[in-house]
Amino acid sequence: MARAIRSNTRFDLIILGTCIALAFAARALPNTLRDPVATGMRRSFLAPLVLLQENAERGRESLLSAEPKQAHLDSLSLGSMKAAALESENERLRKIIGLGSRIRTGFVPAEALHGRGVRDETTVILSAGSRAGVERMSPVIAPEGLVGFVDQVDPTMSHALLWTHPDFRVSAMSPDGTAFGIAQAHLTSATGGYLMELRGVPFRATLKPGALIVSSGWGGVWPRGIPVGTVLQEIKTSEGWARTYLLQPAVNPADVYSVMILRRERLAKGLDGVWESVAQADQAAQRIVVSGDSAAKAAALAEAAARRAVIDSIAAANGTPPLGVTPTTPAATDTSAEAVAARAAARAAAQRAAARRAAAADSAARRADTVPRRDSVRTDTTPIRPGARR
Amino acid sequence: MNVGGAIRAVISFLIFVVLHYTLRPLLGWRAPMDFLVLALLLASVRVRPATAAVIGFVLGLISDSLAPDALGAGAIAMTVVGFGASYLKAVFFADNLVLNAFFFFLGKWVFDIIYFVGEQRVKGVELLQQLLLWSPLSAAVTAAVGVLLLFLMRPLLEPAPT
Repeated sequence: MARAIRSNTRFDLIILGTCIALAFAARALPNTLRDPVATGMRRSFLAPLVLLQENAERGRESLLSAEPKQAHLDSLSLGSMKAAALESENERLRKIIGLGSRIRTGFVPAEALHGRGVRDETTVILSAGSRAGVERMSPVIAPEGLVGFVDQVDPTMSHALLWTHPDFRVSAMSPDGTAFGIAQAHLTSATGGYLMELRGVPFRATLKPGALIVSSGWGGVWPRGIPVGTVLQEIKTSEGWARTYLLQPAVNPADVYSVMILRRERLAKGLDGVWESVAQADQAAQRIVVSGDSAAKAAALAEAAARRAVIDSIAAANGTPPLGVTPTTPAATDTSAEAVAARAAARAAAQRAAARRAAAADSAARRADTVPRRDSVRTDTTPIRPGARR
Repeated sequence: MNVGGAIRAVISFLIFVVLHYTLRPLLGWRAPMDFLVLALLLASVRVRPATAAVIGFVLGLISDSLAPDALGAGAIAMTVVGFGASYLKAVFFADNLVLNAFFFFLGKWVFDIIYFVGEQRVKGVELLQQLLLWSPLSAAVTAAVGVLLLFLMRPLLEPAPT
């Protein structure tokens, strides 16, 4: 029994010593052998464990990056939400700038501050006052058209009535001057939207839906030619001697943020032609964009050509064929037997091709000399008219 | 150990090995638990010292293959720990969770000492910091997790009577 125990202990110690010796041998392996051994183990029976560990570490990275990714996503969402508002604001500012360039002088730009809730827009506070030259009854306009007029002026700000106010009136007409009337807010709108009506249009004058209505310039407040709205339809009223038309206003009061206040000295000059050139300005802007694209395309092509020329010159300097050309013969500097034979074969092929081209050119020239004559038709094959003598 | 016990032991051993390559990298702690040492210790108390040494050697080579610079260091440490655990199983072979926790703690710490000394990658103060701070912490975490798993896997981990 004791001998068996001693034998077992000796066996255990021998195994232990062997394992430790093997481990030390592995530890003492040079790097050139250590890496292949470890790589071989990883690629063979340890591959499933390595895969498990990779997946676990990927999962940990996903967990760690989830919060920053979510924050990034939120930022992007917020940015995209703001982008639409910024685009809209940019569009409005471009229109304001365009209107300013067309009016040229005699206006005061201002911000319209809405103080009430939605669909209750009858007045606004403007961010310009008497110090900027604003006076009472100064017209307020937007790039789209008529907005309202100033009714109270402070040194630094002013108060304006919008066209939606019940007391607002403006003398309006069709652009050709065939129909005149008084435009005001359509207060009985059952739809709840902002609409205008053109009252007192002479019965003989008819307006078609879609017709533009502009300010007439009568009354001394509004200059002539400011868009008021477009005709939607005629509406029936109790007045039998005149027509009343429903108008789609040119300016939605809820969208008024940047406006222009016209000064007195500008009113005398009128605004004829200012809104007529809006379409022309848009077309000019489109042309500028298209020409810009063409210029960019031409510049890109020129840059590509210059880059290719540089690459080809470098290739020529190095003795290699230019970009896109497949070498068919070995380089002349190669003096091996195969290269010499290949160059000789290439020269022979080139000579044969040149000979073929010369022969083809010669035969073509000969064919040109033997153009068939018009009188070479055999007489026996010409049709003979009935009654004719041969 | 009968066939059923051997199969259960092998299954529990494989579970620990899989946990080492899934849960451990997923948690990514600075003082990580070592499921391979737990697997080795739990296997060693069920086999002869020679077999435990072989198991330790193989497990060490497996762990070293993922860090080729230290190839062999883990094998030496695992061999010694496995042989020692099997040789001392009479001392620790008790159904006492605290004693088992100490067994795991000691096994992991000894493994770390041999491993880091044999690896020769960290030296000086950094080695002392590793052996006296991070290794005991890692050993404590390993012991806690080992006791928890011992409790959860009690039906699988019942040691065979000697």
